[in-house]
Amino acid sequence: MLGRFRHGYVAPAAILVALLLYAPFVWTAYLSLTRYDGLEPPVWVGLANFGKLFSDPALLTSTRNTLIWVAGTMVLPVGLGLLVAVLSYDIKGGAWYRVPFMLPYALSGAGLAMVWSPVLSHDGIANLLLGVDTAFLQEAPHNTLAMLLVWTWQQLGVNTLLFVVGLQSIPKEPIEAARLDGASGWRLFRHVIWPLMRPLTAVVVGLALVASLKTFDIVWVLTQGGPGRNSETLAVTMYKETFVASEYGYGSAVAVLLTVVTGLASYLYLRRQVR
Amino acid sequence: MFRSRMATFGVAALVLTACGGGNTAAPQKKTELTLYNDKGAWTKFFDEMGALSKQSIGLGMKPTGYTDSAQYQAFIKASFRTNVKPDLFTWQTGGMLEEIVKQKQVADTTAVWQEAIKAGDLLQDLAPYYTIGGKQYCVPMNVAYWGMFYNKKIFDKYGLKPPQTWDDLIKAADTLKQNGVKAFYHTSVLFSFVWFEQLMAGTDPDLYDRLSTGKAKYTDPGVVQVMEKWKQLIDAGYFINPGDKTDPGDVLKNGKAAMVSFGTWFNTSMTQRDMKPGTDYDFFVIPNVNASLPKTSMIFESGPLCSLTKAADPDASMKYLKWWTTAEAQEKWASSRGDVSANPKVTIKDEALGAVTKDAGSGKYRLVNRYFEATPPAILTAALDGFSKFVTEPGTYKEVLDTIQKSADEYWSTHQ
Repeated sequence: MLGRFRHGYVAPAAILVALLLYAPFVWTAYLSLTRYDGLEPPVWVGLANFGKLFSDPALLTSTRNTLIWVAGTMVLPVGLGLLVAVLSYDIKGGAWYRVPFMLPYALSGAGLAMVWSPVLSHDGIANLLLGVDTAFLQEAPHNTLAMLLVWTWQQLGVNTLLFVVGLQSIPKEPIEAARLDGASGWRLFRHVIWPLMRPLTAVVVGLALVASLKTFDIVWVLTQGGPGRNSETLAVTMYKETFVASEYGYGSAVAVLLTVVTGLASYLYLRRQVR
Repeated sequence: MFRSRMATFGVAALVLTACGGGNTAAPQKKTELTLYNDKGAWTKFFDEMGALSKQSIGLGMKPTGYTDSAQYQAFIKASFRTNVKPDLFTWQTGGMLEEIVKQKQVADTTAVWQEAIKAGDLLQDLAPYYTIGGKQYCVPMNVAYWGMFYNKKIFDKYGLKPPQTWDDLIKAADTLKQNGVKAFYHTSVLFSFVWFEQLMAGTDPDLYDRLSTGKAKYTDPGVVQVMEKWKQLIDAGYFINPGDKTDPGDVLKNGKAAMVSFGTWFNTSMTQRDMKPGTDYDFFVIPNVNASLPKTSMIFESGPLCSLTKAADPDASMKYLKWWTTAEAQEKWASSRGDVSANPKVTIKDEALGAVTKDAGSGKYRLVNRYFEATPPAILTAALDGFSKFVTEPGTYKEVLDTIQKSADEYWSTHQ
């Protein structure tokens, strides 16, 4: 009986996914092969947008900045998150130590940037407190690094939490056995705890990888990709080309490139992890 | 199997019906219109206009203000293809207006213009900014003359007077510099073009016009010289840091910079900060760099208020546009914001702005279309990025001009 209606049951979800995810993606992929200003009908140009894209110096800057975001995310929000989790998970009152790290996670990306804007701007609190005159958001790649610190401030807590969950879910027996065999400290972590946490690490790193590849809101609110285009990420380039320059076709080509890069990076990473 | 397929099709039909819409909606009779705009900070003033119009013509108006112009423009463009159409919306003159008029969806306002010119509510001189293919579209939401707002208290403190020549202006900047005060405001975000257009218009307004129409290149010696001049001013230390995110209204009020160059609409920022004209701040026309020019160049802009032919109630939208041009509406619109008006009958409260409006109307200045409107959108995007880079790294001016020219070449190759 249930089998006869199974398509009907999944239909609403399938239709929504098709309409809201697959259809826009197919449409974007089509637009990437056209010249389209959002008003006149799209004009087919084949791969011209991709040709322009790969010879555009702005793409090089966006790619460089996006790679800094990816590498920085692995070292800071993920790496530090792991460190805080390891240092705090089995000490008395450890949860309270983690609370301050969690609070910023409640902010949206745009809200986060609004909070940090007066801190990092040239006349901002950071310069005042440090007694320096640094253009945190102006010179590349310092501006990307400064924004990466803001991102860390927000993301550290949730990564810590995920790692703590991972640490708490590790079976006690192998750790006890390792301790009885004399393992402790770094060796215990490196050879016993870390391998046992691998499934969860794969999830945390995978999520961070995707999130960093599509970095947009913090950059858009804090620098709008500037000055010039020196802090643009691929997602910011996509937005600017599409909605600011009204080059919907070219912007779609950037979107397709970003999707391919994100998909490929996720696939390669996860395939390696679940092997 | 049949039932499950029917269920699937049923749900799909419902979803598609909800998403779709049909184009057969009959015109409604509206008593309140929605005015979409990218001037979110002016909501209070739009609200006041809505209350007044309801009283005067029985047609209310509610503003929906955006603060991100890219999002706003994307919404308006998308509305051309959907049934969610604004009753009224603000836009930009120049290439952007031409672009949407080509879609044949912007309501023709030729009759409103003719009537308003006849009644003395609009000046014929303004019509060209709104004329495309011999017809007028939209009405002026605002007009603005650009000049220099200055902190009067700082000027008085150092014995400075509004400059009559470019050299006077530089002398004033030097005096301020010697006293540890930054003379000028500039920014790397959005309004990065201000000093470029000012220096271009004050040096060679013909070249500026040719640049706007693709008849000159950004790499031409005249443009390079202007960039070098701009660089000299930055290198001399006259400007505040372009990355300073303080609102320019506060910059002037707090004396972070003694002078801020903007359109007369900036007076609204002064009004909002309870600053008194003639006491706390004042306004002067920026002298030409090139003293041999026959007239002082003044940057001019006019922002349109438009409606669509397929608006929910096109008659009501047109009635509203017509009312907007009247002296009654413009008196309120100008006085509440402390700004100038497109209607010459309106008395401008602010003495300095009133004088500028009068002089501009009498042909004393050479009015130069603001860079934002004068430059085609595709080139503008590259130029804003370029100037943003230049103000933070002035040494890159040649590279910046090359990049802008590359966009210009690409644009003019298909738009001449």
